[in-house]
Amino acid sequence: MKFLCVECDEAMSLAETRGPDRGSMTVIFGCPVCGRQTAMLTNASETQVVRSLGVKIGGQAVSAEPMEGIRTGLAASSVGVSGPGAEGGASKCPFTGMVNEAFVRSDMPWTEGARQRMENIPASARGMVMQSVERYAEAEGLAEVTETVLDRARSGMGM
Amino acid sequence: MKTWHDIATDGGSDVAGQVAVQADRLAERLSDIRYIVAVMSGKGGVGKSTVAVNLAAALARNGARIGLVDGDINGPSLGRMTGVQATTPPQRTGGAVSPPETTLGVRVMSMALFLRDETTPVTWDAPSQSGGAAWRGLREAGALRELIADTAWGALDMLLVDLPPGSDRLPTLADVAPRIDAAVVVTIPSAVALDVVGRSVRMIQQHLDVSSLGLVENMASHACPHCGQADPLYPPGRTDRLARTLDVPVLARIPFDPVLGMAADEGHSYVYEHPDRPAACAFTELADQLKLLLDAS
Ligand SMILES: Nc1ncnc2c1ncn2[C@@H]1O[C@H](COP(=O)(O)OP(=O)(O)O)[C@@H](O)[C@H]1O
Ligand SMILES: [Mg+2]
Ligand SMILES: [Zn+2]
Repeated sequence: MKFLCVECDEAMSLAETRGPDRGSMTVIFGCPVCGRQTAMLTNASETQVVRSLGVKIGGQAVSAEPMEGIRTGLAASSVGVSGPGAEGGASKCPFTGMVNEAFVRSDMPWTEGARQRMENIPASARGMVMQSVERYAEAEGLAEVTETVLDRARSGMGM
Repeated sequence: MKTWHDIATDGGSDVAGQVAVQADRLAERLSDIRYIVAVMSGKGGVGKSTVAVNLAAALARNGARIGLVDGDINGPSLGRMTGVQATTPPQRTGGAVSPPETTLGVRVMSMALFLRDETTPVTWDAPSQSGGAAWRGLREAGALRELIADTAWGALDMLLVDLPPGSDRLPTLADVAPRIDAAVVVTIPSAVALDVVGRSVRMIQQHLDVSSLGLVENMASHACPHCGQADPLYPPGRTDRLARTLDVPVLARIPFDPVLGMAADEGHSYVYEHPDRPAACAFTELADQLKLLLDAS
């Protein structure tokens, strides 16, 4: 899929991706000439088709890990002890703002309040922040991410 | 106004580029593999996996370096049949996953190695499983591509791909593999199976670029456990008739042998442990015929 600024007859380029929000993604494109932006909103199954291709909206900065589609694609209930090719637990890619990344799975539950506060963080950084909060909570031996945990994580990690 | 073809990029996602990278990785991984051979059938339960496992063993016993991919993503059975399911989970070396090996040195890769236990279904992560018809096939094809491309096969004389039932499976393999050198099509001599197998072979001949094709007739006869005499289970000649109609050779005939079924269940190598039983000889014959077929093309 490509986007064209009709006025400028110019191909638009990717500006930002947000989500997933209950499976749907917001992908923003901008015209490099006039700056006009347009957002493509995918429904859950459209997002899923792109995920299933094993490609990432927003491009792939680093080449895929071996068996990445299997590892990141399988539902948590299906994954075996170590997962394919994982080096010491499920590996999580370092880049953000991409569909598969955005779906990075975690067993750690979040309270509604804590989740809401994540909405204030730009989508491109959200996945990474959530991961580090979960790592912090895990290290502290906590079973759930609450708003209190967020506050403590913030001071603990100097955020 | 510009159209799709006038615009070189897709605005930053480079989906086409990413797909090309996937294809490149596959081609690179397969460059050290002499032959890629699919074991298939339109029909289920006719012995595809049994043939794949024992053909691999027969080839390996003669010194060939063999890889075996379980192309049945949803119903993997090679982990159990080859005995590697019981071994430690596959380890990663560099950019690929090391395949476990059977006693005869056959390198095996299967979805079963990554699932929690024997009863765990393959469920893909999705906001909802309904509507999965639109994307499940993509996931399965992607998984097959990864099982082939992301495994550290090393140099191989042959990579065997055991496919699930369905005449649509070889086209899927053709989509993810750069080439298919031969297809071994397994059937039993029932009219029901032969109909379906006939359709799959025709489909390959009409639409796919697979240079070598051969049939394997499984369970046409039963070897008497006392005298060893082969006892037919179906009216004879049916498989040969289909082979003539399709103009493909019958590469081998595998008799029914309960010991073969037991070996599969226990993950033992039948060909290795019972080399003199008639079915084991038939697998050796199949290995020889397949080599002749490949060398001739
Ligand atoms: N020649 C044979 N003698 C005895 N058992 C067989 C033979 N061929 C297949 N089987 C058994 O039949 C069942 C189905 O075979 P399998 O190879 O799994 O079929 P497919 O892969 O076509 O679904 C298995 O339990 C297998 O052990
Ligand atoms: Mg099978
Ligand atoms: Zn514009």
